[in-house]
Amino acid sequence: MINYHPDQHLLSLHAKGELPLSMSIAISAHAEFCAHCQQQLDQMTLALSEQQFEQNQTIQPASIEQHGQLDDLLNQFLNNTLDSLDTEVKTKPQSSLVADNSVTIKGQQYMLPRVFKQQITSGWQGIGKVSRLRLDTGEPQARASLLHIAANGEIPDHTHKGSELTLLLAGEFSDCYNTYKPGDFMLLDQNHEHSPKTTEGCLCYTIVDAPLYFTKGISKLLNPIGDLLY
Amino acid sequence: MLHRDLLDMSEKMENIQSQSSQTRYDKGNLSLRSSNQRSGAMNSDEPNPLTDELAQLMMLVANNRCKTSFAKLFSHFAPKINSFGVQRLSQQGLAMDLVQETMSRVWTKAHLYNADKAAVSTWVFTIMRNQCFDMLRKVQHNREDAFGDDIWPLFESDDAENNDDDFLLSASLLQHVEELPPLQRQVVQGIYMQELTQQELADKLNIPIGTVKSRLRLGLEKLKSFMEKHYD
Ligand SMILES: [Zn+2]
Repeated sequence: MINYHPDQHLLSLHAKGELPLSMSIAISAHAEFCAHCQQQLDQMTLALSEQQFEQNQTIQPASIEQHGQLDDLLNQFLNNTLDSLDTEVKTKPQSSLVADNSVTIKGQQYMLPRVFKQQITSGWQGIGKVSRLRLDTGEPQARASLLHIAANGEIPDHTHKGSELTLLLAGEFSDCYNTYKPGDFMLLDQNHEHSPKTTEGCLCYTIVDAPLYFTKGISKLLNPIGDLLY
Repeated sequence: MLHRDLLDMSEKMENIQSQSSQTRYDKGNLSLRSSNQRSGAMNSDEPNPLTDELAQLMMLVANNRCKTSFAKLFSHFAPKINSFGVQRLSQQGLAMDLVQETMSRVWTKAHLYNADKAAVSTWVFTIMRNQCFDMLRKVQHNREDAFGDDIWPLFESDDAENNDDDFLLSASLLQHVEELPPLQRQVVQGIYMQELTQQELADKLNIPIGTVKSRLRLGLEKLKSFMEKHYD
């Protein structure tokens, strides 16, 4: 039974596609464990799609110039693009079967949620019982990794400048607050201090040092007008 | 007005193309864009003419490669995708790229659309959001990657529970899959881990679909016996 879930705000930003990659991976992976959150995401997506595509009043009228561009684009599709897309699909070289979606650490192999399919591009690093595999998300604001703690291992007391997200993927661990199970999604802010311990060993997905980064949508970071629109 | 123009254009298309009879089905009373009175977002049990009509157009695109139907889908979706893109991507040039990329995928992936699983609007929304996500990564981080479809898989919106079971089951099956003979392993991994259809896998491996089926059957029987041995 999963006890810790992303909140409604995060789920709704995720459904809109407004979260950074590191956090999108975490929510999507949680939803692979958690049918309840998956269902909420599906409902949010349904509502968003109806709002975007089936209700006229939310759509700003396009300018004359945009009309013209859309007309041109459609003509281009009909006269050219659609046929070349079909040719492209037929002649596309056979890509080799994609690498399997698992990691091996200290002789143990773990199956990862599907969302990690393209994310594991580097190797493990670490000493003693704690190993880390860094994900290359290209986000300077956040560091995303897989974290493995071997049986009877612990992470020394630590605090962090920003928030810290931990999604437990396999095994178990406990801290001074609770014991966690695979699928549990814990977002701690900088005021928490904790030192997770594990008896059987565990694999987590973590994101650290991301002050305010998670809970703001991407488009708000990119576009100040975004605040008015969402 | 735009709608009118695009309709005229799609009618023109109808004249220059000699399509099969099915594509002539609805010119007279096309009801696209007229359903804004329907407010209850979750009431998808009620028959909805717009939903049905869009699904019909998708079918024609998927089965007949019908360009007239594509033009109608374009006239419904493109201005709305454009407005989403303007909000999200801020630059008009990029919004038009979003329209182009999204509508290209509607065409190339039409055969994967399943009306039983999602409304066309939801399916197109998913394609658009995923595409927009990848475009934003490019703008923000200068990354040419395509992770949107990994984060929000396109074609299984309403069977979350099954996915969940599949994933948890795969975790325990994984080591046994590794023990299969290579050809069977390839097929089992393709179907269950990469979630390809049997046809897609047959195309990819360049083998007949019958061979995919028989390798899959052999592989699954072997896995079953591994599991039975293990848990007896
Ligand atoms: Zn949940």
